[in-house]
Amino acid sequence: MAVAGAGMLCAQVNTNTNAVDEILALVTTNASAVKPPPRPETLIEADGPADFDLAGRRVVYHEHVRVDSPDMKMRCEWLAADLPQTGGRVTNIVAETNVVIDATDDKGQKMHATGDRAVYVFNVQNGVTNETITLTGNARLENTQGWLTGDSIIWDRANDRLSVPSNPKMVFHQTLNGALAGTNAPVEGTHPPPAATNSVANDTNVPPALTNRPSAAK
Amino acid sequence: MMPVTCHPPQVTRLLLAGVILVLAATDNRAQSNVMSHANDFTSVEYYPAPNQQQIRSRLSGAEAQPLPGGLLAIKQLKLETFELNGRPEIVVNAPECTYDQLNGTASSPGRLQVQYQDGKIRVEGEGFLWRQNDSFLTISNRPSTVLQFGPEKRN
Repeated sequence: MAVAGAGMLCAQVNTNTNAVDEILALVTTNASAVKPPPRPETLIEADGPADFDLAGRRVVYHEHVRVDSPDMKMRCEWLAADLPQTGGRVTNIVAETNVVIDATDDKGQKMHATGDRAVYVFNVQNGVTNETITLTGNARLENTQGWLTGDSIIWDRANDRLSVPSNPKMVFHQTLNGALAGTNAPVEGTHPPPAATNSVANDTNVPPALTNRPSAAK
Repeated sequence: MMPVTCHPPQVTRLLLAGVILVLAATDNRAQSNVMSHANDFTSVEYYPAPNQQQIRSRLSGAEAQPLPGGLLAIKQLKLETFELNGRPEIVVNAPECTYDQLNGTASSPGRLQVQYQDGKIRVEGEGFLWRQNDSFLTISNRPSTVLQFGPEKRN
């Protein structure tokens, strides 16, 4: 099944209800005031050099960059991240060239995403946490339910939600076992009618035979 | 112990060089043997005016051996930078490095360890160049960074 048109997709549910989802997003975001469990460490490695610009508060990694955390792995050729102020955390990461992301959401669903560029943004505004990863440039995301492409794919990590603002294309994988089993049953049920049709045809042949009789009687 | 501390960054390097020269002058050996040795030295750089009282970076070492060309071979390097409010920013530890006093750079082909923000970001790598003028650190090979984010900033 292919669906074209702007919309917002839930990461876990394959429905496409914009207004309801947006309201749910607001409710979910406000409900996230509950303190989440601590995040484990994230490891960033690279084959090339890393440049720490302390004045500009930025670090850049070069060549075969790998980012590994328990719920996400990312590969790219170039990565820049801001260096946080005291007490803060990394709020902006840009990954470029052959970006590959393998992640697992809160429900354990795995997803695989690729693109030319990925931008991670984290901020807290009015007590609401915003954490997104935006893929652009041949952006494609795939999980067990199907795949999704678009000019950009936005993964809202705070709400575990995917959205494609423009030119989205989405393909769902049907659960083949269940779907085909349901389709086969009616097909089997359609076989008897042809047999019944044949018997009617036999009856139809009878009248001509009877029609001939009067002629013979003449 | 040979502490070297002063205010403007340019003077800091000159003073450090001066200390080495004095050490060399007090040495009675031959002229070619200008090498001398300093233990537990410190070189401090301050923020420009109007924050000239605030330490911007402090480079210290257990030993410093003068090399030709205004270089110092430093052992047990510890480089610290500070935010304008005085909070520690980054701490770099390396077993050894070469410090270029005139250009304000420190470099080494060896390993280094970096701690940023009290260890919330930890970096290791092999080979580095530190440019004091613009607070720029390049780790040449196999940089490995560990980010440790607490939940306190996630509402």
